[in-house]
Amino acid sequence: MIGHLVLRNAAHRPVRTAITVIAVAIEVTLVIIVVGLTSGLLLDTAKRTEGVGADIMVQPPSASVFMAFSGAPMPVSIGKKLAQLEYVQAVAPVLVQFNSVNGLDLVYGIQPDTFRQVSNGFVFEAGRDLADPNDILVDDVYARAKKVQVGQTLHVLEHDFHVAGIIEHGKGARLFVLMSTLQEMSGARDKASIFFLKCDRSDHTAAAIDEVSQLLPRYEVRPLKDYMSQITSSSLPGLDIFINVMIGIAVGIGFLVTFLSMYTTIIERTREIGVLKSLGASKGYIVEIILSETGVLCLGGVVVGIGLSYVMRIVLLRLFPALSILITLRWICLAGVIALLGGLLGAGYPAWLASRKDPVEALAYE
Amino acid sequence: MRLLLGAGLEPILKTENLWKVYRSGQVELAALRGVSVEVLPGEFISIMGPSGCGKSTLLHVIGGLARATSGRVLLDGNDLTQMSDAARTLLRRHKVGFVFQRFNLLPTLDAYHNIALAQHIHGNGFDPHRFEAVVGMLGLKERLHHKPAELSGGEQQRVALARAIISEPKIVLADEPTGNLDTKSSESVLVLLRQLNRDLGQTIVMITHNPEAATYGDRVLHMRDGMVVNGLPTH
Repeated sequence: MIGHLVLRNAAHRPVRTAITVIAVAIEVTLVIIVVGLTSGLLLDTAKRTEGVGADIMVQPPSASVFMAFSGAPMPVSIGKKLAQLEYVQAVAPVLVQFNSVNGLDLVYGIQPDTFRQVSNGFVFEAGRDLADPNDILVDDVYARAKKVQVGQTLHVLEHDFHVAGIIEHGKGARLFVLMSTLQEMSGARDKASIFFLKCDRSDHTAAAIDEVSQLLPRYEVRPLKDYMSQITSSSLPGLDIFINVMIGIAVGIGFLVTFLSMYTTIIERTREIGVLKSLGASKGYIVEIILSETGVLCLGGVVVGIGLSYVMRIVLLRLFPALSILITLRWICLAGVIALLGGLLGAGYPAWLASRKDPVEALAYE
Repeated sequence: MRLLLGAGLEPILKTENLWKVYRSGQVELAALRGVSVEVLPGEFISIMGPSGCGKSTLLHVIGGLARATSGRVLLDGNDLTQMSDAARTLLRRHKVGFVFQRFNLLPTLDAYHNIALAQHIHGNGFDPHRFEAVVGMLGLKERLHHKPAELSGGEQQRVALARAIISEPKIVLADEPTGNLDTKSSESVLVLLRQLNRDLGQTIVMITHNPEAATYGDRVLHMRDGMVVNGLPTH
């Protein structure tokens, strides 16, 4: 009976119902997309780093798992010592820079020979490998997103590069330049941000890690096999806070819209509440009706929000092909629960008010 | 004036020196001034009086919608004046049926669900036999799936009546049930009330402005300035 009453009430004011549902949907979409964007970014970064093909990565002491935030404090000469280790087959030093002009991109400064030994080389879709100091390689995702072609000039890190080739994505960064060029540009002569190591056999990785740790005791030595599990939102400073703030804003939106919607509802239905009380409806019954109606509206908003999230994902990926947006079942459920709780909280005060209305005054309300 | 009726039968409703005073800042308004009445089971009582004499207030107090300032209200042996709000709500749910001048049907529900809602609130679940019997008696079978806006005034009041009696209350309190109806509809509603009273023994207390409507009851109580001034049988 309450279900029937709730659905009828929702249908009676379609505009208000629609606005409430849309507001909750926006709340759900905001949570899913924000988390999806951050998770997608992290996962994409991790996958591409793993995709380099190395077994181990060596970073300076206390370096962040996010390479772009560690600078370039290691001398390139360390690479020669690493190459002499028993279980190490190849060593590729890489200088990492973060480009924030026309987007946010990692740029790898590499030595083509050593990088090829570790990664088995690039797969070229067009053009050739790095040769000149001003050459740049871009991956196919970047090329598609920015409409870049071989032979074009690309302005990156406040420098004009010549696009020498377009490569298949998935080997670390999307942009590759010669290490010497990047060292000159960033004033990090003979320096590297990270060393990628290839072992002679994959089952020698643990032994190789021991060797490296003994050689460079304070350095961060990580097996790349587990790299993805190490990339979480808590690894990046401030990201957890950002996500929580966005969730808080979303909850706030849902709370306020539901509060306003239910508040106007109980004002409008004051006489109905009086009628229910005259029939002997308890305070709990009145509260149950208001909260049930809120639940239905929030549920509708959650369903629409989930759909909207997938639509937004399609639109964003079409506009920004280099983006990665990860929508998981876990966060769909969490967003739904957050929306529902926010909505019920928002309806709590109006429901309480409704239950306490004086029946005689309510019946006389015009 | 205190009115005593019959001997041997316990009144289903009894008020003793009932006062209801409304306070607004420094201003006090006594809507009821020492009202003492008794209603026996199966009686049909009409209450008449000018506007503002306290008729509706009396109905609200004896129905448990409002709390008396002083005095006693005994409904089916339960002292409403000693009860909490929750207890009065429970009593109202099981023992009182209300009919209002403005029908007060829920506009989003059709007639069927307006009546069924009362059963749902009552808590004993949907009783299809009782539902069919009440709907049949009040001539509503063909109108059950219409919303209040699609019903005439008379039909709406019959739905309200069905809602009031569906859970077999001890007493039906009708506040100007014909106040918003034309003559013909008024008559049909009054006939139904009398039929409920005569055939089913339903105790009814009805407020009315209309002297003709008042004659449908067994007794008429006249009120003025918050007091019962006269109580006479209608025939």
